[in-house]
Amino acid sequence: MDAFYASVETRDQPHLRGLPVCVGGRADQRGVIAAASYEARGFGVHSAMPTARALKLCPDLVLLPADFDKYTRVSRQIMEIFRRYTPVVEPLSLDEAFLDATGTERLFGDAVEIGGRIKEDILKETGLVASIGVAPSKFLAKLASDLDKPDGFRVIQEDEVRAVLDPLPVSKIFGVGPRTAKRLESLGVKTVADLASRERNEVQKRFGASGAWIHDLAHGIDPRRVHSQRIEKSHGMERTFVKDISDREELRLILYEFCEEVAWDLRHRGLRGRTITLKIRYWNFKTLTRSKTLEYPINMGKRLYSTARELLRRVPAGPVRLIGVQVSNLSDVREPAQNDLFDQGDPQVARPDGGDGRMERATKALDSLRRRYGRGAVIPASLMARDRVRDRASEGGLESEGQVP
Amino acid sequence: MKVLCERETLREALTIATSVIPNKSTRPAVENVFVRADGDALELVGTDLDVAVRYRVDNVKLEEPGTALVPARVASDFVRDLSGETVRLGSQGSSFLIESEDERCELTTIDPDEFPGVSQFGEGEQGSVSVLGATFSRLVSRTSFAAAREAGRYAMHGILVVIEDDELRMIATDGRRLALASATIDRNGEPLNQGPAIVPTKAMQLFCRVIDDPTEMVEIHFGENIFGLRTSKAEVFARLIDGDFPRYSAVVPSSTENLVEADAVTFGKKLKLVANVTSVDTRAVRISLEPGQMKILGRSDSTGEATAQLAIQYDGDPVDIVFNPDYLIDGIKNCETDVLRLEFNQRNTPGKFTLGENYTYIVMPITVDT
Repeated sequence: MDAFYASVETRDQPHLRGLPVCVGGRADQRGVIAAASYEARGFGVHSAMPTARALKLCPDLVLLPADFDKYTRVSRQIMEIFRRYTPVVEPLSLDEAFLDATGTERLFGDAVEIGGRIKEDILKETGLVASIGVAPSKFLAKLASDLDKPDGFRVIQEDEVRAVLDPLPVSKIFGVGPRTAKRLESLGVKTVADLASRERNEVQKRFGASGAWIHDLAHGIDPRRVHSQRIEKSHGMERTFVKDISDREELRLILYEFCEEVAWDLRHRGLRGRTITLKIRYWNFKTLTRSKTLEYPINMGKRLYSTARELLRRVPAGPVRLIGVQVSNLSDVREPAQNDLFDQGDPQVARPDGGDGRMERATKALDSLRRRYGRGAVIPASLMARDRVRDRASEGGLESEGQVP
Repeated sequence: MKVLCERETLREALTIATSVIPNKSTRPAVENVFVRADGDALELVGTDLDVAVRYRVDNVKLEEPGTALVPARVASDFVRDLSGETVRLGSQGSSFLIESEDERCELTTIDPDEFPGVSQFGEGEQGSVSVLGATFSRLVSRTSFAAAREAGRYAMHGILVVIEDDELRMIATDGRRLALASATIDRNGEPLNQGPAIVPTKAMQLFCRVIDDPTEMVEIHFGENIFGLRTSKAEVFARLIDGDFPRYSAVVPSSTENLVEADAVTFGKKLKLVANVTSVDTRAVRISLEPGQMKILGRSDSTGEATAQLAIQYDGDPVDIVFNPDYLIDGIKNCETDVLRLEFNQRNTPGKFTLGENYTYIVMPITVDT
């Protein structure tokens, strides 16, 4: 989707059309730009840029707060449209996805035909403009969709791969960031053609495994398949504060809140995790992470917090700008779980009908209350009367990402 | 100091003392063995500040009393490699001499006063109890395998030792399985209660090592924050783990609905067989019981599935329970009887294994969400 968040906002507020519109956090709260309309991009504003800087570049910028619930709803609508044409849809983010159109010819026509129909459907049903790329591999398809943005529709056929790739700068290759691009340039490699003409061994020697990868891509070789079921590797939440926080008690409370949120999301997805990682960014942007792998996976907020708090103890004091907690090493709750004999030193009480421990049962009960009456219906007493990270009233916790800008 | 001793007894004593002594310490004196020749005995002392051993070397001829602080590793290795049968030890100024026939070494020493103070058994001290050496060792070997090894379960890194109503009891758990063994202490006199004390597992192994004669009575001592054991030759002290041991007695089911009796060796073999297909991530075997028969099933998504059956004593309703096979195999390895008893109530409550007389092993099952 083109400038997704910003487009959704201008669609809903037509008087903003043609103006430089951005979605993001406020400058006085150290916000960053999450999405910029093409008008705003004309001023040099781009996503991930601090809002304060964006306002300097474009003083007339229309800054709107992010409404992730809305974007999530639109995202679901778009994904729904994709799935009409093929079941093999791999979402990359809220507004991007890879589709594998193999085998759909007799139903809907070839990939080019499907691409056109999807673009049409999206415009008709959501009022938003999508850019589409059709190509024989993931890398080329993504590249194609970016080439004619906005409102693009680009097809790269098998026999025109070289012609399209050759003149492009190497930075267009997925995996070549500014640093690699610089190193390549020092070797006299500027365009994809330059890179493709080098010996594979030579590139591999200089850049290791990623060298072989970028060399393959330069030749249009990308064996990755489209996976419709993305396996989640981690789940977490982090936040930059409006003002640095030094008070440990305050940090602990925030951490507790994050842990409750992340644990809820894990339970909601039927997952448990074993590795807990704490991320701290200090006032001077020095960033530390500390992690701990437990013996058995968890998805209870309190258990998560007890580990996160322990990790917090291991980082030095100082004004903190950002704090985050992440759970990885995820597994399905249906996988067999070794139970503990003890529940905090006391014997684990088992129900005659074969239920779980006390905390699991209590959590199950609380979760069903939250599903029924909203997320804010039951919260830990220590977190009462605090500004919530998420809006408690939002629909039964169906948010798809545990990230807050 | 001048002492004449047998090489073999000295070697043994040095090995035991050195086993406690750390290779590197913030206090260099601790990297040494303290040697004392006094009265009619030669004594070696080693410590890592948590555990201390005091070991007496027998059959010595003492010519001149004295003390020395000797580099432990070197002295121990040198004595081990000597070829003569007798060894002469002596100190000369700041050097320590080890001589045997035509072999000799001179070690640099440091001031013996640098060595930290080490506890000593008082005579007829309060909190001391006599037990048979074999009894003590047996209780340790019956329980120590179940103690926690991974970091983070501090209070479970030791064996709980307690004397209640003339019964010496040891308990070890890692939070998911628990071994409990006890033995009656013959005692003439007042009923006795001592402990509980959480003794580090590592120290427990040293305690067993110094019991070289199982028929000998040893003395154990429950101190304020220390646990000690004395044999005719050695005294060992260990600093206790300061933590709350879980309420172990409450997880031992008092009454159970299901009782299984199986041949321990066959059960162990079949478990091991089936466990081969389970993966490292999900070590789990399902035990399905029917009257007269047990079926063991192991499966993993990546490898496949295996089953084995064996004849058992069981006359209840068909029921399933899932365990980590490693825990069961550990228990069966220590089983002292031919027939192993397994009792449990539900598939999610602890299984109770009887591995011998006064020897119980509790394993928490694995639950599989259905």
